[in-house]
Amino acid sequence: MNLLINTAKNNNLALCPQCHKVNVLGDAASDEKIQCVRCKGMFYQRNSRSLQYTLAWSIAALIAFIPANLYPIMIIYSLGIGEPSTILSGIGQFIDHGLYPIAIIIFTASIIVPLLKIAGLFVLVYRAHTGIRLRPDKHSKFYHLLEFLGPWSMLDVFVVALLVAVVELGFITTIAAGPAINYFTLTVIFTMIAANSFDSRLLWDKQQNSDENF
Amino acid sequence: MRHLSNNIDTKQLIACQLCDALYEKPQLKQGQIVKCTRCGSTMAERKVNSIERSFYWSMAGLLLLIPAVLLPLMGVTLAGQYHHASLLDCIIALIDRGFFMIATLVFLFAIAVPTIRLLGSFYITYSFKYNKLKPSLLYFFRAFHHLDNWAMLNVFMLGIVVSMYKLLDDTELSINMGLLAFILWLISSTMAASTLDQDYIWQKLEDEFVD
Repeated sequence: MNLLINTAKNNNLALCPQCHKVNVLGDAASDEKIQCVRCKGMFYQRNSRSLQYTLAWSIAALIAFIPANLYPIMIIYSLGIGEPSTILSGIGQFIDHGLYPIAIIIFTASIIVPLLKIAGLFVLVYRAHTGIRLRPDKHSKFYHLLEFLGPWSMLDVFVVALLVAVVELGFITTIAAGPAINYFTLTVIFTMIAANSFDSRLLWDKQQNSDENF
Repeated sequence: MRHLSNNIDTKQLIACQLCDALYEKPQLKQGQIVKCTRCGSTMAERKVNSIERSFYWSMAGLLLLIPAVLLPLMGVTLAGQYHHASLLDCIIALIDRGFFMIATLVFLFAIAVPTIRLLGSFYITYSFKYNKLKPSLLYFFRAFHHLDNWAMLNVFMLGIVVSMYKLLDDTELSINMGLLAFILWLISSTMAASTLDQDYIWQKLEDEFVD
């Protein structure tokens, strides 16, 4: 069925990623930078380094995720005594206090989503590169999910920022941010850039090529 | 496979952003959408009364900007002491404690990017509404698209809810006017972005300024 689909690439056309205008590629090579006739932005028909960028940013995100979990993300001072808490121990406190819905939300946003995103992008890059067991319809839906989930990981950072600002009651209670917040923010930003640099059309290109071979 | 010749009219073509499938451009009536038959994603949408709606939503968003940023969102009372904080106070508190990177990023994602997007959609819809189209809008609208992923007001809203839960546990929590303004701001900026018909704007700019 896929053979019947005409793609822009097969017709020597290229879609501008910014304004979605179909451009004529002309003599330019597939991985050469061209200028869109409509929005004047520069783009590639396919960026040949797309998978490399995604892989590199995902690895950077994974590295930043380690200190993000080891260092305290916030320190609660009450009556002059500081009590540091990491992301995981903060979730533990919510569970201790019986706040299960919040514990689940924070656990999803701060642990599951970043890890799922990093692991998912690794899988997508691997599949798109090798073409092994590639299911473009499933994988592009999965990619969409990863892209959508990205910003929600910032939740914990915003919570800490709010708590630091609101709970400032001098000697009684003060909340301070911990060093992990820097690393955690870097993780989130790196995964977002990684997802943005992935070109989902590469998933479909591979499929088409393998179909043509048979 | 059928290959088209090189001297084709690209105005009659549309391609899927996600899987690159190529189609002839359909003529849409207001409210209709085009979906890709291969991957099922939405390729284009002709939104109902887009310019008017987006214009008024972004105007509302801009009016709500100052109360949403400056009014206190919530306050806590503990042992007779009261303290409250606004969105701006969050950033100032982070700067005071030396977290410059986080302060910058929270400022960008929760204040600057949403504000620039509101200003951008306001300017574009204003130009369309009062027929003041300029060639520079092509560049402007392209720059506008780069910010699409980086507005995080909805995430910040969830952050407010989570921190309220956390504070409810051991302090006396009070909700201030800023929260209402923030929620309305969130709604207006989401609506301003989702009612903006990008395909229509690009099409119109192209007809006007690109030969």
